Amino acid sequence: MDDDLMIEIESLSKSFGKIKALDNLNLDIKRGELLGIIGPNGAGKTTAIRITCCILKPDSGDVLVDGMSIHQEQIKIKSMIGYLPEEPNLYERFKARDLLSYFAELYGVPKGEIDSRIEELLELVNMSHRAEDRINTFSKGLRQRVGIARALVHDPQILIFDEPTMGLDPATAHNIREFIRELKGDKTIILCTHYMDEADSLCDRVAILNQGRIMDMGTPQDLKSNIRGDLILNIKVKNPGGDVVKAIEGFSTVEDVEVADNQYTISLKSKNDIKDIINVFEGNILSVNTKEPTLEDVFINSFKQ
Amino acid sequence: MKFTTITKWELKETLKSRKFLTIFILQISVLFLMLFVFNAFITNIESQEGISITPSLSGFASLSVDDEGRLFSKYINPELITVTHASFDDSMKNLNSGKTMAVVLVPADSLDKIRNIDTIEVKLYLDQADPKRSVVRDEVNNTAKILAITLSNSWIDSLTPQNSTPAVVTEENTGESLPMQIVTKVMLAILLFLPLFLFGNMIIDSVVGEKERKTGEILMAMPINSSDIIIGKSMAVVGVIALQVAIWMGILLITGFEIPNPLLVYLLVIITAVPVIGVTVIIAAYSKNYKEAGIGLTFGYVAIVGILMIPPLIYITNKSLISNISPLTMVIRLFSGDLIPAWHFLIPLGFVIMVSAITYWISIKLFQRDDVVFGPRPGLIRLILEFGGLKRRGG
Repeated sequence: MDDDLMIEIESLSKSFGKIKALDNLNLDIKRGELLGIIGPNGAGKTTAIRITCCILKPDSGDVLVDGMSIHQEQIKIKSMIGYLPEEPNLYERFKARDLLSYFAELYGVPKGEIDSRIEELLELVNMSHRAEDRINTFSKGLRQRVGIARALVHDPQILIFDEPTMGLDPATAHNIREFIRELKGDKTIILCTHYMDEADSLCDRVAILNQGRIMDMGTPQDLKSNIRGDLILNIKVKNPGGDVVKAIEGFSTVEDVEVADNQYTISLKSKNDIKDIINVFEGNILSVNTKEPTLEDVFINSFKQ
Repeated sequence: MKFTTITKWELKETLKSRKFLTIFILQISVLFLMLFVFNAFITNIESQEGISITPSLSGFASLSVDDEGRLFSKYINPELITVTHASFDDSMKNLNSGKTMAVVLVPADSLDKIRNIDTIEVKLYLDQADPKRSVVRDEVNNTAKILAITLSNSWIDSLTPQNSTPAVVTEENTGESLPMQIVTKVMLAILLFLPLFLFGNMIIDSVVGEKERKTGEILMAMPINSSDIIIGKSMAVVGVIALQVAIWMGILLITGFEIPNPLLVYLLVIITAVPVIGVTVIIAAYSKNYKEAGIGLTFGYVAIVGILMIPPLIYITNKSLISNISPLTMVIRLFSGDLIPAWHFLIPLGFVIMVSAITYWISIKLFQRDDVVFGPRPGLIRLILEFGGLKRRGG
């Protein structure tokens, strides 16, 4: 066992009826690391998270949390994790403060510390003014904030967020991202998301999951540089066609060429041939722009492969 | 002991809910209404007039009678047939115009004929178009028979020696009449067990609600066992039932009902609540949604009522020892003033503990299974086979 590792997912498999949600999944997460898990719907992200939180039992394999197996030390593991599911799923009839008190008691927070801890958390998620209001009067953004406070109520070492910004307005989503950024380093965090820019800007490492298996994993920068070079050239033309594609593919720096409608997307290893490539189009050009690959490109590329 | 936290918060939030309080108060109002009906029932029994449990037939049929000596008409049941006295001609006019359904003609010399022990010929004219004519015909025939028997007895009496003294039998009542016993013992006992079946929806909401609202996912991520969740939620409902039963018993005692050994009766009712809720939790833990749970609850409660009610009936008929298995039998025995040996109480207690252990074990096992909570849920037969060790999970 590596002391530096907080979570070790070992050969994890889980099926729901005939559907294989996880297929021999292996994944390590370091202490204080923020790992992003991205993948399409049904990739197995939530299943992997639920097994790590000891909510689901795997068919085979194990998850070690701080060296403890989910098959033996469920209660200890659960008390180390703060879990925020995709929907905050809070008790509608509870007041925000009561809800946090209830979960603090369940997590075994000492009685004398509960009130001060709740005040601190309400302040942190900017909900002090709504502490005495019932959950059923809250918007989705406010519920998510209460959900985050609930996940933090016992000051866990590990935080697991499943789509925390899903369906939120841009301002609230931004606030939650900033909040996660603040927690980074202090806690080990798993972030499941559909938003590539969110994973790119927040995560130390990103794992791409599909059909219950890791397809690619690394730092966002590594993943981006591993695909189709370092630069993407987009050229919009008046009239597509001819032998242009063949001509472009002849340049040594060109890795890939895609044509969609009247747009050419060219992946380049370096900037060296840009000028010559543009000359191939001989005045047929409407616009030219360059961009660096994003995680979205990595994601799409993974699925192509 | 994390279940106490769940019990505390479930109780706290339930008692704060306006919807729950409305239902709680409505249930007490129903009890008051039942007491009102009880009192009316008892008053009727005690008035010696008895009560009719069938709908009133007063004025069901009409009969016009030409009976100068009022010999015949005084024996006709006035609750069933409205009798009017009129001459034969007027009576026939009433019959033809539909004002009456039948006419009875009693001969004017009937009293003389009786004295001479002659036969009287009574004539009955019926409206054949009226479907109720058969009732009138039967009633007139019955009246004729009663009249004949009465007159015969009277004639026999007149032949007996005058100096003989008829035996005088006086009736002294001891104890309660059977109807009173049914009211004060059986019905009162059933009334006390009624709140056990009034809060099934609460546990259904508490357990199935966790699945439907998806809050169960959070609860299962807490550092607590499934047993804490199930027992915590169940005890909250038992607590509410205990409160309701205490209020009901208080009301019954205040309104003059006699409850011998009220503390023991209270304990018997409350311990019965534990397995009843246990059965309800099994239904809730297995059900996907409220609709399914509602159907399951109906079947479950019919079975529980049967298990509670059949032993007292056995006890009433042959005082079998096994009938003490139902706590309801013990409560009825307490109400009857039976001298119950202490060890008899071990029978229902043992039964309650056994059923509770089984039902809560099944509930916890069900709640521990992620396929039951999150799906795809296994079928009932497969589950039974798996619990029985006859099939391997996932196999």
